[in-house]
Amino acid sequence: MDAKETARTTQMVKSFREAPIDGMALKRLIEAGLTWLRTNQQLVNSLNVFPVPDGDTGTNMVLTMQSAFDEIANSSERNFGKMAHAVANGALMGARGNSGVILSQLWRGFARGVDNKEVLDAATLATAFAQARDTAYRGVVRPVEGTILTVAKDVAAAAEKALHETNDPFVMLEHVVAAAEISVQHTPELLPVLKEAGVVDAGGMGLYFILEGMLRFANGQSLEAGYAVVKPLAALQLEETRELIEPGQDFEVVIDFKPDAPLDLIDFYQRLEEMGTSIQVGEGDGIYRLHIHVPTEKRYHPIDYAMTLGTITKVAIENLVAQMNGLEAAGRGGKLTLTPVEPGQIAVVAVSPGPGIARVFASLGAAAIVEGGQSMNPSTQEILAAFENLPTDKIIILPNNKNIILAAKAVAELTVKQVAIVPSRSVPQGLAAMMRLVPDGDLEAVAEDMTAALDEVETGEITTATRSVEIDGVYTKEGDLIVLHNGKLVLSCSTLEEACLGFLEILHAENFELITLFYGADLNRQQANRIADLIRSAYPEQEIEVQDGGQPHYYFIIAVE
Amino acid sequence: MSGETNPFGRITVSPRAIATIAYHAALESYGVVGLAHKNLVDGLAQALVKDPTHGVEVHYDGTHIDIDIYVIIEYGTRIKTVAGSVGNTIRYHVEKALGLPVNQVNVHVRGLRISNGD
Repeated sequence: MDAKETARTTQMVKSFREAPIDGMALKRLIEAGLTWLRTNQQLVNSLNVFPVPDGDTGTNMVLTMQSAFDEIANSSERNFGKMAHAVANGALMGARGNSGVILSQLWRGFARGVDNKEVLDAATLATAFAQARDTAYRGVVRPVEGTILTVAKDVAAAAEKALHETNDPFVMLEHVVAAAEISVQHTPELLPVLKEAGVVDAGGMGLYFILEGMLRFANGQSLEAGYAVVKPLAALQLEETRELIEPGQDFEVVIDFKPDAPLDLIDFYQRLEEMGTSIQVGEGDGIYRLHIHVPTEKRYHPIDYAMTLGTITKVAIENLVAQMNGLEAAGRGGKLTLTPVEPGQIAVVAVSPGPGIARVFASLGAAAIVEGGQSMNPSTQEILAAFENLPTDKIIILPNNKNIILAAKAVAELTVKQVAIVPSRSVPQGLAAMMRLVPDGDLEAVAEDMTAALDEVETGEITTATRSVEIDGVYTKEGDLIVLHNGKLVLSCSTLEEACLGFLEILHAENFELITLFYGADLNRQQANRIADLIRSAYPEQEIEVQDGGQPHYYFIIAVE
Repeated sequence: MSGETNPFGRITVSPRAIATIAYHAALESYGVVGLAHKNLVDGLAQALVKDPTHGVEVHYDGTHIDIDIYVIIEYGTRIKTVAGSVGNTIRYHVEKALGLPVNQVNVHVRGLRISNGD
């Protein structure tokens, strides 16, 4: 972080902490709690002791919080109490697992405690924590102590106590987070199974991370880098990190090295965090094993860095993206659930430029996905292979890129199956077409109907100009951001904000209903949400959705309909 | 009462014993606020039971253990999740205590308790 950025963060922290805590502030805090919990999800998961009843506490709590956040993601409610009720509702609807149910009850009580308050003050916050505790405890006949319930109880007590010292809800939150940490560390003393397993309670830890995430956000601290600790070599769970692959982190690097001098761990982690994510470090007999996911261009940086620390004994570099693609093609590993087709039904093969977009197509009923898009056109063979083995002979192909339409047409010549091409030139067009899919319908009629849907959506694509050029009266310099409207260059500018808002202005987005942003591999959700919020305030009448597209090269693909 | 024979004699476990394990496991499950009688006479429906054999039904034929449990759940929780979690918890505790696989646990939600207004 350079000095300028630090100054900006300080300014943001100041303005956030001095503004009244209203519904919008709660939304930011919920997102922060969710993000920090997600960052530490694997750590919480690793704390499980019961093999059966609750196998994945961290994941369950993340999904519950995600559901809570989804409920308010599009809301611009100013009233704190109303927003809290929406959070509680979302948590309830999405409650997963035991810990998720308890978490939803905590939010329910919390919402009750703040009832209809416009803004949050310290006294209300203390009441809300007390209500959260009471509501959660009412949900069970015999509360087991040493669990998330105990942490909720200690949190409420800390809030009550802090009320004597402060009127600032954020100062109270500091007390609360500190109390939650102590409470979590104390759980093994109350619950023997935890002590036997040598862990603290997972649910309690999850609650702690949610609260701590809110505090970190209010303090302007990062929510991305998780708690990293040096584990015994045997405890490294490198396989699990496969699930954590983030867009842009293409290479997994594992290095064994023997440091010349004891490691300065804080500095060590800081350097690693600058390079990549999913950092794990193990130690045994003086040999350190370092595991990290890094972007392609930084794949040698961890090795160069480890060289400066000592002697490297072994290095392994693997291309994660290629591996994950292999896994998905083999029908395992990936999180993609494709729609199974019955014989005689229509199967849709969609070409998708990113994993997030692939998931959206899958959720809309695509039977097969082919990876590909701008500058990575799939071959006819790849498209053919995607559907050759499906148990039906009616196939619709969505190329989703103008450069792939020809390849798709060529495929039709190569197979005995009946193939119809719906010539979608962009992802939004492809999605619009998916909405018209009738799996049991007549192939020609359905394809015609889907083709008709292509023009119902406007497509915006935001990317970087690769050379200086003037097209259609728009002049752009290499490195500038450019906006394409239905494939035509319409705008060149320097920031994403200008690009998104500029595009919507050119389009007269106020005449449309729904704006969906698919953010690319180079952006994270928070960056995308920030822009979505800007759009929301510029277009209050329109519904704005944010989806993780995961596509390379394009910062945003925007669908307006 | 089925059981197994070892060199020192026979061990039998009665359904009532299994019911007791299930009863206690259920009451420690989050979201369950009580058990209800399995044979409801209307009007007595919400009477919470204290006797483990009343809200739990166990069929054990020597090989299969089938458990039916009749629960009251806290209003405002996600019933599907709570019921699923009760089933898992009971299965876990019974299997752990007996060392025998449980064939099925059927959770019957007999009512909801409203503790205060939302």
